[in-house]
Amino acid sequence: MTKLTVLIFAVMAAVFLGVVAYDLARAKKTHTQFHIKHCAVGFLMIGPAVVLSFVFIMLPILFSLGYAFTDYQLLTPDKVKFIGFDNIADIFKEIFSGGELLTAIKNTAIFVVCVVPLQIIMALGLALFCSRKVRGAAIFKVCFFAPVVISLTVTSYLWLTILDPAETGLFNSLLGAFGIPPQDFLRDPDTAMLWIVLLSAWQGCGYQMLIFLSGLTNIRSDLYEAARLDGANAWKRFVNITVPGLKSSVLYITITVFIGACRIMVQPMLMTGYQEHTVTLSYFMYKQGYDFGFVGKSSAVALLMTIFIGLITFIQKKVLSEK
Amino acid sequence: MNKILKIIGAVACVAVVASGIPAWVSGAEDGESSGGNTVVSVMFHVSTSSKEGQAYKKRIDAFNEHYKEQKIKAQATYIPRTSGSSANETALTAMKSEGTLPDIITFDSPKCSYYASKDILYNITNMVSDVKDEFIASSINYYEDKIYGLPVQESSAGFYYNKNLFRQAGISDKEISEYGDETPWTYTEFLSVCERLSSVCSTSAVDMRFKATTDETAPYLLYPFVYASGGEFCSKDGNTVTGFFDSDETASAFGFFKTLLDKKYSSYTVDANDFYNGKVGMFLSSGWTIPDLRNKNYTAFPGGEGWGLLPYPYEAEGKAASATGSWSFGITDNHHKDKTAARMLLRWLVTDESSQVITEHTGMISAKKAVNEGRYADGSPEAMLLKQLATTGKSRPAMVGYAVLSTTFNQVINDLEKSSDIKSFLTEKARTMQATIKDY
Repeated sequence: MTKLTVLIFAVMAAVFLGVVAYDLARAKKTHTQFHIKHCAVGFLMIGPAVVLSFVFIMLPILFSLGYAFTDYQLLTPDKVKFIGFDNIADIFKEIFSGGELLTAIKNTAIFVVCVVPLQIIMALGLALFCSRKVRGAAIFKVCFFAPVVISLTVTSYLWLTILDPAETGLFNSLLGAFGIPPQDFLRDPDTAMLWIVLLSAWQGCGYQMLIFLSGLTNIRSDLYEAARLDGANAWKRFVNITVPGLKSSVLYITITVFIGACRIMVQPMLMTGYQEHTVTLSYFMYKQGYDFGFVGKSSAVALLMTIFIGLITFIQKKVLSEK
Repeated sequence: MNKILKIIGAVACVAVVASGIPAWVSGAEDGESSGGNTVVSVMFHVSTSSKEGQAYKKRIDAFNEHYKEQKIKAQATYIPRTSGSSANETALTAMKSEGTLPDIITFDSPKCSYYASKDILYNITNMVSDVKDEFIASSINYYEDKIYGLPVQESSAGFYYNKNLFRQAGISDKEISEYGDETPWTYTEFLSVCERLSSVCSTSAVDMRFKATTDETAPYLLYPFVYASGGEFCSKDGNTVTGFFDSDETASAFGFFKTLLDKKYSSYTVDANDFYNGKVGMFLSSGWTIPDLRNKNYTAFPGGEGWGLLPYPYEAEGKAASATGSWSFGITDNHHKDKTAARMLLRWLVTDESSQVITEHTGMISAKKAVNEGRYADGSPEAMLLKQLATTGKSRPAMVGYAVLSTTFNQVINDLEKSSDIKSFLTEKARTMQATIKDY
């Protein structure tokens, strides 16, 4: 394993040095001393970033890609065998036999379908609210953004306390005041995913709010004034000026929220554990790879998931760009 | 220009050479000797800030002092476990991948089969055959009839009860004493107590820990019910679950849990503190609760008084069973072929003296019979647990795919309330489990 890492690292280092040498040689041809220095300094400065992204991004991706075609088990790294597409075939077999993986796919799909529009609408609503020139808007901005900087683990535990199924739980106490018996929201298959969606949208929308806010400031105010003079009401101004003006922001946010939503794991992991009604694809992968030790299978799921997300992102980009 | 190229060349050379160093180092027999000492490394699952960690540290220091003349030195690392995939296990996995496993590790007993089958643990049968009878039999870790681990201490569980609530429910001391006598109580007697307690408990009669399904808590506390109902989890070799996990007997154990839920004797909504606040009559928990109840001044138990401990109940037609198994010491199958020093340290860590020190720090029951002799007064909670261990202690199933079983067990408990046909529910789960464990 170490030798392979070193080998890959050496290849990557050679490629990087090759690019550096080529660029410097090209600069030398132009006989511009400033250009050469400029190139050299540039490469030296991006060097650490290249090394870090290689070690923490490229290398794991490359390894994971390779593992997808092996029978690698976590505790026997010295007995890895190449098994071709067996893992992929097993995955499709499991999906078509209605196994746990199919449940994970369904749950992830439900989460994505719910959270992407909800989070975008919430973020847009908050951005429109904060963009109004009213006193104290900055305080609201800070409040809405605060959940983004809090760790997902902390927010999950916070919501666990709020949704505690005991009579003394925060939300159940409130329900109790209206004579409603305590509810076990996170164990109930009908409500658990709904609460995870709400928590995730609440936690993440502050970040998208900031992007929408910057998008809103780029829309010229004279467009609104002209529309007002033409008698357009608030809804018409929103549909005909704000929405088209935020097109690039919407595209970026839709893609990033979609990708983030596909990778959901921490919230169900901490709030419900590995239960059928909340297990997601990433959680399934984690369980298979770390707890059960099937790294090969886990990597194969990751590979298919990456292909799927890439494909959907490509389609999203095409569709939204055309509009 | 040439100067710049030379600098880049030099940096590149250093980088390439440096990147090769780890590979070169990993091939070396690291840790074999240091300053003329033979070094034996050990990794513990707790930090030195915990009482248990302090006990280990004391024993390691004593070992180093004792073997100073023989130039054997123990080097300990403390990587605490956490819930889920712990830092401890992640470190272990990384060390296995890098070939840098310490000579001795601590591990949770149900992991024994998995670790042994994956060559993490070393077969120590011959190293400890002369001392194995000194331990409580059910606490030794076996895989394919060979010994792979010796226990650090023992752990069992039982039903802690609130004496005041029992009195209010009309359950006399005489009746209670019968349940803890020669034979434990039956499911029928347990249900009868729950029924009477229901009228005086503000939440539930008993906290069965049905809520604790995110980690090993629920499987550890509830698995004895399956054995007590005459059921099994898997075949003897641990490779088959169909026909065992979904047998009528196993279904009967889960049916018992469902009865408790249906009759509202227990629920998923019991708060973890309800027993300590006097809202719940009984609380299923491990021996770790004893020092808590004694030393922390809980509302329902001022001065650490007013509580007792009852054993696991059993199905009248089945055979009584109780929880057992804690963390164990094991020698690893690492690159050190000479296990002499590791053997010496392992035996040192499980001596009566070491066991005594660890027990005193943690308040748990020792896994060594001699240490427990005369240690606990008759009628004390520890004496009850000790008796239970000796008479009905049955360890969790020894299977390579225990992690899969534990996960499935939690899922079953979590979905039990809504399941109308337990038998077919278990059959479906057994089928899924079987499909996963076949890959081990």
